Amino acid sequence: MKINVNKIDDLFTNYKKSGKTAFIPFISIGDPDIETSFEIAKTLISNGADMIELGYPFSDPMADGKVIQKSYERALKNRVSMADAFNFIERLREISEIPVIFFTYYNPIFAYNPSKFAEEASAAGIDGILVVDLPPEESDELKKFTDEKNLDQIFLLAPTSDASRIKLVASYAKGFVYYVSVTGVTGARKSLPAEMRSKVNEIKKIKDIPVGIGFGISNPEQVKEIKNYADAIIIGSKIIQFIEDNLNDKKNIIKNIAEFSYSIKSSLM
Amino acid sequence: MKYPDSKGHFGEYGGRYISETLMPAILELEEFYKKIKNDKEFKDEFKGYLKNYAGRPTPLYFASRLSELYSSDIYLKREDLNHTGSHKLNNTLGQALLAVKMGKKRIIAETGAGQHGVATATVCALFGLECEVFMGTKDIERQKQNVLRMEVLGAKVTPVDAGSSTLKDAMNEAIRDWITNVRTTYYMIGTAAGPHPYPEIVRDFQSVIGKEVLKQIDKFPDILIACIGGGSNAIGLFHPFLKYKEVKMYGVEAGGLGLETGKHAASISGGKPGVLHGNKTYLLQDEDGRIKEAHSIAAGLDYPGVGPEHSFFADKKRIIYDTVTDKEAINAFKLLCKLEGIIPAIESSHAVAYLEKIKDEVKGKTVIINLSGRGDKDIDTIANYLSQS
Repeated sequence: MKINVNKIDDLFTNYKKSGKTAFIPFISIGDPDIETSFEIAKTLISNGADMIELGYPFSDPMADGKVIQKSYERALKNRVSMADAFNFIERLREISEIPVIFFTYYNPIFAYNPSKFAEEASAAGIDGILVVDLPPEESDELKKFTDEKNLDQIFLLAPTSDASRIKLVASYAKGFVYYVSVTGVTGARKSLPAEMRSKVNEIKKIKDIPVGIGFGISNPEQVKEIKNYADAIIIGSKIIQFIEDNLNDKKNIIKNIAEFSYSIKSSLM
Repeated sequence: MKYPDSKGHFGEYGGRYISETLMPAILELEEFYKKIKNDKEFKDEFKGYLKNYAGRPTPLYFASRLSELYSSDIYLKREDLNHTGSHKLNNTLGQALLAVKMGKKRIIAETGAGQHGVATATVCALFGLECEVFMGTKDIERQKQNVLRMEVLGAKVTPVDAGSSTLKDAMNEAIRDWITNVRTTYYMIGTAAGPHPYPEIVRDFQSVIGKEVLKQIDKFPDILIACIGGGSNAIGLFHPFLKYKEVKMYGVEAGGLGLETGKHAASISGGKPGVLHGNKTYLLQDEDGRIKEAHSIAAGLDYPGVGPEHSFFADKKRIIYDTVTDKEAINAFKLLCKLEGIIPAIESSHAVAYLEKIKDEVKGKTVIINLSGRGDKDIDTIANYLSQS
């Protein structure tokens, strides 16, 4: 049996020692097609990504804004299945060891069978699972299997989370806590709420766990500010916008994403 | 055992499958509702609005010509005579009172046929609340009258052009708005579905239907029939009768063009359990767990899911779920118009149509059908259907 040493924990332990903040880009598997999304993942990895978050497209992405909704729609036209997703990650594993977070909504996992999902996800090389519509209250059905496979089930906290929610989520959280910067859906925003910093501090006071911030982050200026208190920044919509804007020019998608990724990584240095 | 349990589960169904941003709001609603639901003042206030504003109780009408046709005693619970033309107002009145007491100033809702949208716009006017209703562009097209009604009542109707552009997509968009404006906004869900405590709240407010029937009957019914989209009118009629084991209940799902065609909205009869819109329940979905588009001529049934309590009773076989097609529903629509002088909603026509399916069984029996809404809104749809067939 393969022993799955959790790479997410390793990375944050190392980064904490050196005071670094991790860059976690998000893309959807299969957008605009499987091969191009694989190229994009490679591009992100070679241009500074410390981890990668891969979205498994869902028909009804209720927590997502327009950009990711459209990304999923494009991916679904290619009928990306769970087997395709695992195959994608296995291929990625052949060329890179960076931690992979699998992001989706619960129904595709439930339909696949949570036990089978955890087993195959682990075998494919996934390190963390983030299910956006699975709060701690409903997570046991999946968590008992992901825990068995040493997959980190990552939970969210939000600006609306009070101390009792933070305590509950922190008690379930593994790997890191994903702090949603805004009350809202995913999507690039020009300005982000000032309360982020105090919320992150509040979380860390309750549990000493890495905190990544996502939703709305779109430029190096925001990153330079956030890196002072967050352990990771997650950027999705801004990257996927490059796909949407260059659907007829795949070279340009890669070029734009490479440049953007590099600029984010540089601003974290 | 009372359902739902403390975590909002009906057996394996229900629950709270929502993003963390919404959890505090859901917990706040749950706490608030728990405190207020048995409060005498609140109950009296709700009853007062039902009586003086909605015009309840609605009649339990003995449909003599329909009874003659089926050699049975058929009663229609006339929710079509409720203010705004359907049972939907029962729930929106209750939820609006909750929202006001919780200090919320802005209400959002999703709507399919527009009946819940109209009922929401109505109570928002009544209580002076800001109102935004999300509605799929396909539904806006087929339910234009209800769009106009919502607008004259002061609501903003926001078109949703995504996915199938029907109720499911309107609900996605309403949830997105709720995530964004959760601190100020109350989400008024229109059916007995969604994250806990909504299925319980909507059921409780709609149970006025069955409770009234219990007071109105001289003779205990043998059979209850109601149509099922999300299932709020059905659970409203059925719930007070569940303890009477001898009463048989039929939930009629929208069979669309026929179950075998895949073009239907019958989540229980033609779907399997899954998670969508905050609850675990029967859903129409493909093998990869993506949600399929539903199809029904009735916009109010055109939804790929169903309330979790129905899923629970389906598995327990306490309620029997079956389907009628678009065509059968239209035939029943015409039948009720001609025999009883009542124009039913196409949604409710599904319940009436089921008589034909169990015509041997209903002979000599007492049957109550929930006539959940009136069909004025559907005249264009009926005309289109008849001109194409």
